Formats: sequence, structure tokens, C-alpha cells
Amino acid sequence: MSAARYGMVIDLDRCTGCGSCMVACASENNIPALPQATARTGLTPMLVRRVSNSKQGSERREAFFPIMCMHCEHETPCVKVCPQQAVEVDKATGVVMQMPQRCLGCRYCMTACPYHARYFNWWDPSWPAGMEKSLNPGVSSRMRGVVEKCNLCHARLHSAMEKAAAGKREIDAADYIPACVEACPTGAIQFGNLADANDPVTKESKSPESFRLLARLGTEPKVYYKSKEAWVRALAEPNAAPASEVQHG
Amino acid sequence: MFPGIDGFHWTLGHILFLSLFFLVVLTIFITVASAAWRTSRDFKTHNAADLCWKSDFAELPVSDRRCRHELAGRVMSRTCDNAFDCRHCGKYSQFAVLPVTGHVSRLGIEYSPDRYYHRGHTWLEPSDYGTVKVGLDELATHLVGRPDSVQLPGIGQEIDLNQTAWRMKKNGKEVLVRAPIEGKVIGVGGPEQGWFLKIQPRLDPANPATFRHLLRGAEVHGWFSRELERLQLQLRAPNSPAALADGGVLVPDLMNAVPEADWDTVLADTFLEA
Amino acid sequence: MASTVLTDRRWIARGEERTSLSRFLLWLTPWTVLLAIGVYAAALCLWYGLNQTNMDNRFAFGLWIFLDLGIIALGAGAFFTGFLVYILKRSELKPILNTAVVVGFICYSGAVAILMIDVGQPLRAWFTFWHPNTHSMLTEVTFCISCYLLVLSLEYLPILFRNRQLRKVPSLFVFERQLHMLVPVLAAIGTLLSFFHQGSLGGLYGVLRGRPFAFRTGILIWPSTFFLFILSAIASGPSFLMLVTATVEKVTGRRLVPQDVFRRLAFISGLLLAIYVAAKSIDTLVWLNVTSPSAGFAPWQFYAHKPFGTPILFGEIVLFGLLPASLLLYRKTANHQGLLLTAAAMACSGILLNRFVLTVQTLALPTLPFDEFLSYMPSWQEIASFGGVIAYGVIVYSLSYRYLPLFGSKGDASHVSGN
Repeated sequence: MSAARYGMVIDLDRCTGCGSCMVACASENNIPALPQATARTGLTPMLVRRVSNSKQGSERREAFFPIMCMHCEHETPCVKVCPQQAVEVDKATGVVMQMPQRCLGCRYCMTACPYHARYFNWWDPSWPAGMEKSLNPGVSSRMRGVVEKCNLCHARLHSAMEKAAAGKREIDAADYIPACVEACPTGAIQFGNLADANDPVTKESKSPESFRLLARLGTEPKVYYKSKEAWVRALAEPNAAPASEVQHG
Repeated sequence: MFPGIDGFHWTLGHILFLSLFFLVVLTIFITVASAAWRTSRDFKTHNAADLCWKSDFAELPVSDRRCRHELAGRVMSRTCDNAFDCRHCGKYSQFAVLPVTGHVSRLGIEYSPDRYYHRGHTWLEPSDYGTVKVGLDELATHLVGRPDSVQLPGIGQEIDLNQTAWRMKKNGKEVLVRAPIEGKVIGVGGPEQGWFLKIQPRLDPANPATFRHLLRGAEVHGWFSRELERLQLQLRAPNSPAALADGGVLVPDLMNAVPEADWDTVLADTFLEA
Repeated sequence: MASTVLTDRRWIARGEERTSLSRFLLWLTPWTVLLAIGVYAAALCLWYGLNQTNMDNRFAFGLWIFLDLGIIALGAGAFFTGFLVYILKRSELKPILNTAVVVGFICYSGAVAILMIDVGQPLRAWFTFWHPNTHSMLTEVTFCISCYLLVLSLEYLPILFRNRQLRKVPSLFVFERQLHMLVPVLAAIGTLLSFFHQGSLGGLYGVLRGRPFAFRTGILIWPSTFFLFILSAIASGPSFLMLVTATVEKVTGRRLVPQDVFRRLAFISGLLLAIYVAAKSIDTLVWLNVTSPSAGFAPWQFYAHKPFGTPILFGEIVLFGLLPASLLLYRKTANHQGLLLTAAAMACSGILLNRFVLTVQTLALPTLPFDEFLSYMPSWQEIASFGGVIAYGVIVYSLSYRYLPLFGSKGDASHVSGN
């Protein structure tokens, strides 16, 4: 099987900020239900951020940005800095794999990530009584003191690979769909193999309306965003017209 | 990371980094191992004792390092620069021929002209069988009195010159008595017997150089005289002026007679503790 | 009758005057309390997890990392003095050598202790040795600091074995003598290791492509912060030694080193600080005009957030950089102890400010266009743990001063008068 480069294109014009992707991600990845967590200490491998163009009145515009690990390809910041190689770029899939079992919890990778896509387990995982029945058996939970992030639903990739091996064929795109992609009601999140020129996601990523956040840092993220709105596209660069985040309550 | 683990491959970075690291660790290890090996070799060759004593000697106050020839009145003033090792002192023969001068005053304390005396306040008495007897000298006995406990070496144990021969405890203070000669312990005594150790010297007792480093005869007088001066100043009552009494007899068991004195310093000066 | 006053006189070197045991214990008491509180705070963090701190996903590094970097920079006096004395044969600095080793040992052991609490899984610390990532500066830091702590312990052992009672154990004493003969090897290794880890600590931030505030280009794989950290560390190390020695002199009320030592330390510190200021100015200009804009970040963005405005940059380079450097280099400063120590303190503050800027300010600043500027206040557990390290340092130093020959031999003191 030739190497894939799994990536995404997220259509911001379609994102309603419903948060289904966040819920699906939490559910798929057995994210603990921690009532004591705050906005800055919570575990949200998929996080929808609400931004505006900082104007008021009739000129105000807002949009929603689903932020997760960008699975950077070049000089991947977190991979370069981890002292014990607890994260690596999987050559077969392009996915940046985090290994919580090897993580020391030094949090250097969190400092390195410009997208703030990495999250630390500040507490041991716990769920309210009864909720453990809803956990995903394919994904192991992480203890406190280790870093985690989106790994493009690796359990689902494994299932797809098992099916492919059993059927002695390549992975079927229909078999491997990350939870957020599956859950999105508007289809704003599209997932595909950027190494495949025929993949619709690859074509979308090349559209003039597509951009990547902080592309000039040179990390080659594989998550693209797309919008017809110029002010949203301008958010690719930090020197753009002022944008601000709208705080949720 | 290691060969055999999934996905590992050697790069130049690995080789450089790991070789540098292991080189550093190896150097540290060799340094420590080398020091340890040399230490054990020092002990086997009895060089260790020499090292310890030379280092201790350098830490002694100047007043404790007076050359024996000054004490004997052969020279006006001289500080020993050879750790009392008269056996190997270049100047020894030069000074030894000079006459002994000094007071003939009564010391108030006895010493024996037949014995050799070590600066650590032990006496040494050769016997006819080529062995020697070692005891605590009269001044030290008056100082310490009857020790509360004595820790003697075992029969057959090797002791080194200027290293610890035996330990004594008195009033909570511990004294390590330095050995006047190197050799093998063949007998142990105690305060009751009047002697502490019988030793088979490592060097030939018939050779005069073997006991050259020890004081004898009139030299002892000069040395004891200085020691008594020191003791009188150190043991006087605080705030009283310095006075040197002449004549009289030294009070026995000074540690109990003058308990408030700075015994730490007195004992250290007397038994040449660094 | 034996004296009933409790005394530890037999542990104190002959000829040395030390305060009474009861006064010494009184001195140790508040530090012991501080240490106990610190240990308790650390135990809380180890037991309950890092949620005991106020660090979060955006402020992944906080007070502890800043203080770790600061302590290690200030402790650089140990390796640098060893380098000067044993490799460059500047024997005029010998009087300060032992105290430098103790200060270095305290700084590094304290830093390692804090690091063990700072990581989420301390028991996995050995993973870095088993799965090292040769691209990561942190791997380099881990290896070098572990080795260097070992070297410092080996350099501290001889000082420990020269204690009055310990030196009576012949095996320890002879081992100490033999080790002492090989100390130039340890000093050379220490210099090599320190060069690398001081630099790598700077490299930690200089390689962060994702943090354009900290990111720097440099020579081959080493960003300019690698070299700037080495320079600033060896500039602040001698100043810190001066401060420590002067403090000890003040507390004990006696002159411990010749004034010439202060003069020389001031010169070394001033010269290195001046070179550092020049290098940093050039580096800042390059960063402002080339590095940062090429990542898409205009430098004014970084200084637009109060209270981290351009005064901090001014403070780092001029107020706590150029000014103390000039004072330390100016010959007459050494004649006024107060001025000298103020200059030394300012130099150390400048280096601490630099460490703060790179650890805390870097994380506070936004990277994504819709990020906001964040603030963070350490929790009491973080502050207390660090207070515990300071207390540990004071206690270890006090014990070393009391029982070990830190400041040269006293073989010439006379005891006849019984003083």
C-alpha cells in the first residue's frame, strides 16, 4: 500500500458551531467527564472556536473554527521536541501519532505547538457512575500526567486496516471516517488522502478559497480551511486585520 | 530507539550524540574507578597512611609543628616542613650534631630516658626480642586520667606510623592516639598494665634509622616543657591572665579537674588532630 | 564532670570559629519550616497531580520552569570557576572554588528536584535515556544535566570528606586525595557538559518554530539563543558567587576571601555581560527585522500587550545588561562593596529577566490570529515548592559552611592563647 497523507478540508461557511464534532470526538476517545476542568484545563482534542472580525453593529461578522491537531508534515514541531519520541509522524498515513504510554508529561510539545492542539491530563480520568458503559472499547484511556491530542481516530484506522487485510485489498475510504467527520451535520469537515490526486479533498485543498492557519511558519499542516469570506481567509496570517475570539459563557 | 524496536534506524545524529554521551560517561566512570583503584593500591602499599598523615600535618597549627631541634634547643626556631619524618629529612644530620641546650628546671612530670617519645604523646620501648612496647606518655596520662573506655586493635592487625593506634573515650570526648611506629600488633594491654600495645615493627629494630623520628633524652625535656606551657595557658580559668607556674607537680586527671576548659582544642593539640 | 552544654565542636574544623550550636539551630529553624512547607506542597503535587498548580493547556510551563532555567544560569559559576582554575590555571580564584562547587551542587540538585515534580510522570524519567530523540534539545538537556549533577556530586565529595571527623576515616580520606588529583579531568568534563546544557536550555526556545517570539535562526542546528544562554550564564555565575560570598560574609561577620577575588569576579562578569549585551543586541535586531517578519509576525505585535511592553526589552539589554556590565568593568566600583554588589545583583536580575521573558512571556503571547494574550499566576503550591528549594539551598550551604572547609585552610591559626 502506498503511503497516504490523510488530511482535512473544513468548510467554515458551513460550520454552524453546533459542536457535534466535539461531542463525537469526546465520545470516540473516551475523554473523561471532569466537572472541575475549566476552559484552559479541559481536554478537547477537537475544539470549536468562535471568532469575529472585531467590528460591531451591522459590520460584525462571526465564524466558527474547529481546531484540532493539524498533523504537520514538515519539521513537525511536537515531534522534533519530544525528548523521548512519544510522538512521531506515521510514514504510512501521515498521521502524527501520540503515544501516551511513553509520554513523560514534560509538556514541551504543548509549548511547541502553535495551534494549541495538545492537551494535558491534569487529572486522572473519571466518569460519573454508569457512564463507563458508554465508553469506546477500542480506545484506551489515558492516566493523568500525559499529553494527548487528536490522532485522526486511530482506532477507526485500525479497524479499516483489519478489514482491508482480511479482504486482501487497500483500505476502503468508506471504512475509515474519523468521528468528527461522521458527526458533522452539515458535512463541513471533509476527510481524505492528500496523496491521492483524485481525492475530492485534495482538489478542495488546492482551491483559491482554501488556506491553512499560520502557513508561513513552514510546518505544512494537513488541515485546510475554506471560506468565501475574505476576512476569514485573512486569518491565515497573524498580521491580518484584527480578529478576536468571542468568549463563550 | 534501540535496534529491534519498530521503525528505528541509525542516523548520523544518533551516532554523534550517543558516542559523545557515552564518552563523557565513560570518562567520569574511569576517573572514579581510577581514584578507587589508586586508593586500594595506596592501602596495599601502606602509602595511604603517609598520604593521610602528610595532609593532617599540613592542617596542624604552626605551634604544633615545631621542629624537634628547636624543642631540643639545637636551633632557635624552626617549623618542621617534612611531617616529622626525620627518617627522610635532609636537614636531620645537620642539626643532630648540634648540642642540646635548654632549661634544667624541674618539670613536675616524669619521663623515662630509656624510652623513645612520639609527638603524639606515646612512648616506645624496644625489647630484647626485636619487638617494641607502646604506651601513653606521662603527660597524656595526667591529662586524660583513667579513660572511660579504650578501643584497642586486634592481635595481628597492621598499624601504620602516625595512624590511629588505639582510641580512648573520656567524658564524652574521643581521642585517637597516633601510632609511633609501623608494624603488626602482637599483644594488647591497657591502662592497668601501664602499656597499650606490643608491636612487631615492620622495619628492622636494629637499624638506628628506624627510631630516628622519635624523641629521646634531653629532647623530651624541651618538648614536655613546651607542652606544659601550652597546657597551662589553655587550661587556665577564663578571664584570668596568662601565667606560667614554675615548679610544682602536675595535677593528675586534668580532664576531671578542669572540666570547663576547651578540651576539644586541648586534646586536638595534644594528640595532633588535624 | 563533663560540660553540659550541647556542642558539635568536634565536627567543626580546628581553628575555625563558628557560632554556638543553639544559635545555629535557631538560624536553621525558619529555613527548615520553609523546607517543610515546600516538601508538603511538592507532595501534594505528586499525590494529586499537576492540577494543584495553576498551569494549564496554554501555560504549559510556568513558575517552575522559569526558576529552573534561572537557577541553572546562576549556578554556572561552578563550572566556569572550575574551568578558570583548573584549565586556564587562574589560581587567584582558588579561594572561591569550594563555595562555587557547593553553590553549583545546590542549584543543580534543586533544579532537578523541581523538574521531577514538574513532569506529569516522574517515574518515566528514564524513558528519555532509553528512547532519546537526538533532534530534541530537551534530550540533550536531560543527558547533560544528569551527567553534570553527577560530576558536581563527585566534586562535592572531596569537600565533604575533609570534614574534621570524616577525614579520620582513612579509606574516605585517601579516596578524597586521589579524586582531588583527578579533579582537573572532572573540571574539563564539567565545562564540556555545561557548555552544552546551558546552550541547549537556550536552544529549547530558539527552535520553537511555533512561537515566533522565541524562534531564532543560528549556526547549523543551534539557534542563536544557544550561544546567548551560554554567554549570559557565565556572565551571571560569577556575579551570583559574589552575592553569595558577600552575604555569607555579612551573616558571619568575617572576611572570607581576599578583596582581590571580588575584583576579579567583577571583571569577568562585567566583561562577559558586555559581550552578551552586544551579541543580544545584534540578535534582537536580526530577529526584529528578519526572523519574525518572515514567519508572518510583525515584532510590534509582541510588545503590544501590557505589562510586557518594550520596557522589558529595554530592561533586559540596557538597565539590567549594559548598566551593570559598565559598573562591573569600571575599576573603582570594586572599592565600594555596596555598589559592587548592586551591580552584581542587577546582572543576575537581567539574566533572570531574560529567562522569564523566554519562558513566561513566550507562552502568554498569542500565536493564532484569534488568540488572546493570557495571564497566569502561580498557585501557592508552586511558590511553596520553590521556597522549599531556596530553603534547601540555605540549609545545605549553612551546613557546609559550618562543618566543611569552604574557604581555604586555616593551618596558620594559633591555639596557644586558647581563643
